[in-house]
Amino acid sequence: MSGYHPDEITLMDYSAGSLSLAQSLAVAVHLFMCGQCRGQLEQLNALGGTLLAQSDPQAVEVQGFDDFMDTLDAKPEPQITTKVQSRLYNPLQNLLPDSFDAIPWRKQTKDIAEYDLTKQLAGQGVRVALQKIRAGAKVPPHSHRGQETTVILSGGFSDELGVYHKGDFVTRDASHRHTPTALQNEDCICLTVLDAPIYFVSGFYRLLNPFMRW
Amino acid sequence: MSAPGTRDQDTQKWVDLLHQVAHHRDREAFRQIYDHFAPRIKAYAMNQGVSQQADELVQEVMTSVWRSADKYADSLASVSTWIFTITRNQRIDLLRKAGRMQAEIKVETEELWQIPSEDNTVSSIQQLSAQRHLSKSISELPEEQMIAVKKVYYEGKTHQEVAAELNIPLGTLKGRLRLSMQKLRVMLEAKEL
Ligand SMILES: [Zn+2]
Ligand SMILES: [Zn+2]
Repeated sequence: MSGYHPDEITLMDYSAGSLSLAQSLAVAVHLFMCGQCRGQLEQLNALGGTLLAQSDPQAVEVQGFDDFMDTLDAKPEPQITTKVQSRLYNPLQNLLPDSFDAIPWRKQTKDIAEYDLTKQLAGQGVRVALQKIRAGAKVPPHSHRGQETTVILSGGFSDELGVYHKGDFVTRDASHRHTPTALQNEDCICLTVLDAPIYFVSGFYRLLNPFMRW
Repeated sequence: MSAPGTRDQDTQKWVDLLHQVAHHRDREAFRQIYDHFAPRIKAYAMNQGVSQQADELVQEVMTSVWRSADKYADSLASVSTWIFTITRNQRIDLLRKAGRMQAEIKVETEELWQIPSEDNTVSSIQQLSAQRHLSKSISELPEEQMIAVKKVYYEGKTHQEVAAELNIPLGTLKGRLRLSMQKLRVMLEAKEL
């Protein structure tokens, strides 16, 4: 079980449905791997349910019941019976090939490859990508203009603040400068959500900053 | 820990009605669910900034409740929690459709926000009895925490918006939200003993 989780306010926003789509993807991917957060989410959903049931609709007018049933009876039953899901589901399943090896990775440096998912989520003002860092390799030291959320899908990495493994949910922001380094034994594959470009903080890589746009 | 069957009457009433709908397509049972929840869903939609589509949202949600009643399992969530998750997802769907540009969106809302079901839920008896006490516990929250939680859940506002509205710094709002979660957890755990 994973050791780093979204904080409870992030889970609360997710449960309330007010977290952005890209951030919600990151949370959903973590939930797929973390029973502890699924348990917490149940409580948060129950909070939402209780607030809904307790709310006072005052003078809100709705379509009468008989009228509603007439409309419903006239609607064709949908072909794929229901939208309601029925099993623990990996939200990346439909976005990716069956194996990480089959992903059309785009090489960025000799150690880092990327697969951009931004378009598939129609995100605006965000960047969503899978990143693969070769075992033992370093991502150049950088900081962030906004928030960077990382969920580890395979392998692990360390940075100045800790060591992270499969399933972990890690957030970094403008107050952090770090040098993520993949663990030695296997490549690290993670989902990364950025709400603003990162920028490199040292040496040669700083020259790349003007190109770190979307 | 309280045994199953001690859940409060109101919670059980909705479970029984929904089972009537699932197993007997009972329209009178469904009428009671509709009469209670439809206005609340509409009020939720109006608060959530989708007032234009409030009636559409009510229709979509109540249609799902009627058609998917057999997917509901009372061991996993209360009826109001189940309906809340459906309502939240349909609201997100509406907003996604409205914002959809040329780009193709390959992830369905229900892949990102799952409805409680047999295999994605961790429910233990403990959690379920906790749910039963939730409504009482919420009413025991200090008012300022209650208001913060309600605004986040019920009005779909960002933290910045809520903080501005309450005229408090962002950090104070987050503090209140955190405290409210801690309090609820402590109250729920205390009731388990
Ligand atoms: Zn977790
Ligand atoms: Zn970073």
